[in-house]
Amino acid sequence: MNNYFIITGTVTYALRGRDILRSKGYSANVKRVQHKYKNAGCGYGIVLTGDVEQAIQLLKSSGIKILGTEVVEN
Amino acid sequence: MIYFDNAATTGKKPESVIKAVDHALRYFSVNPGRGGYELSQNCAEMVYECRRKVCGLFNCEREDKVVFTKNCTESINIVLKGVLQNNDHVITSSMEHNAVARPLYKLGKSGVEVDYAEVIFGDPEATVRSFERLIKSNTKLIICTHASNVTGEIMPVEALGKLCHNNNILFAVDAAQTAGILPIDMVNMNIDYLCVASHKGLYAPMGTGILVTRGNIFDTIIEGGTGTDSISTSQPLDLPEMLESGTINVPGIAGLLAGIDFVNSKGIENIYRNELRLAEYLYKKLRSMGGITVYTPYPQYMAIVPTISFNINGIPSAEVAQMLSDMGVAVRAGLHCAPLAHKRIGTLDVGTVRVCFSVFNNVNEIDMFANCILKIKHAKK
Repeated sequence: MNNYFIITGTVTYALRGRDILRSKGYSANVKRVQHKYKNAGCGYGIVLTGDVEQAIQLLKSSGIKILGTEVVEN
Repeated sequence: MIYFDNAATTGKKPESVIKAVDHALRYFSVNPGRGGYELSQNCAEMVYECRRKVCGLFNCEREDKVVFTKNCTESINIVLKGVLQNNDHVITSSMEHNAVARPLYKLGKSGVEVDYAEVIFGDPEATVRSFERLIKSNTKLIICTHASNVTGEIMPVEALGKLCHNNNILFAVDAAQTAGILPIDMVNMNIDYLCVASHKGLYAPMGTGILVTRGNIFDTIIEGGTGTDSISTSQPLDLPEMLESGTINVPGIAGLLAGIDFVNSKGIENIYRNELRLAEYLYKKLRSMGGITVYTPYPQYMAIVPTISFNINGIPSAEVAQMLSDMGVAVRAGLHCAPLAHKRIGTLDVGTVRVCFSVFNNVNEIDMFANCILKIKHAKK
């Protein structure tokens, strides 16, 4: 199963998103955005294991803004 | 000292709050969620936990809608100046604190229409009709205090929320005197903006306030660093960061988190009933003395918060407060930053002596206070 990094921009979105995903059984952890995502400022994202498309839908329907998604190299 | 100025700020804080602030200063003196290091992230987790508990306390749906401010006045200013535009109409009550009245006065000079609805104590339906009569096609917002900081009278917030909902009007509530003392359910009460003085009924340190918003805020009163979208010179629109420019008050928020836990452990219903019992006890004592005018109506359940305003007839309120201070009792005299409310009860020229309780007050203190009042009366005969 792939790991994904969902960039939320703000730490509040990241923490709220993490809790929403965990409540649905996902493995989700908050991590600071790396410098290469320059538009994210000092933002944060969620490292996710599981169905990323479903997770993104869940986050968007909960009002969480998503700036981008990447596959995390293991 | 006997401290009865809890409507200004709760003068005694729980040990758990003091310890939480101390802990935050020792171990969380970092900018939450900005740095990538572990401590910054842990601090962000604590701040988020506080947002989560605020949500639970007031039944708001989303943690990102909980904004930390420096006090209730700032929360109110953010709402009024972030929602109202030229030619919008706003209705407020005849019992408001200057936290509402002054920003509305300023907005009134720049094209916002402001009307004041008369509050009829003991007749909540008539009060709601006062608001209803003032609604116009351009009415955008109703803002009112949840309870008067002068007389303790509770406003019919639930009915006003329904009125707003039915007329597509935004509803803001100044909960400075009620958060932590009365139950507040933003969804069921149709409250779009809840403004809270965390340092009062939630026992947090001074310098902490909350704005919980279910409605939109269209403009900011302060812009700056948010730790998000840093490349842009435009203020980000994501909450809560949009309204939290600059470094936030982490020790205060840690104290607030502990304060909410403290309130939850006591139970809001228990807190209210105990403080109302004290208010009733004092009310009866004052009324039995003679020569005293009590402006607060009889402390009935869900009609009054535990605040009693009175005067010793013939003695200025400030003089009474000074004499009480000399006897080791802290109360507040004068207009309590609420001239509208004093105008309504006819004390604009003289003010009142105000007593307000917290969970740390007891009947013995009221007995001692009553003796002080008797001494002042006799000394001035």
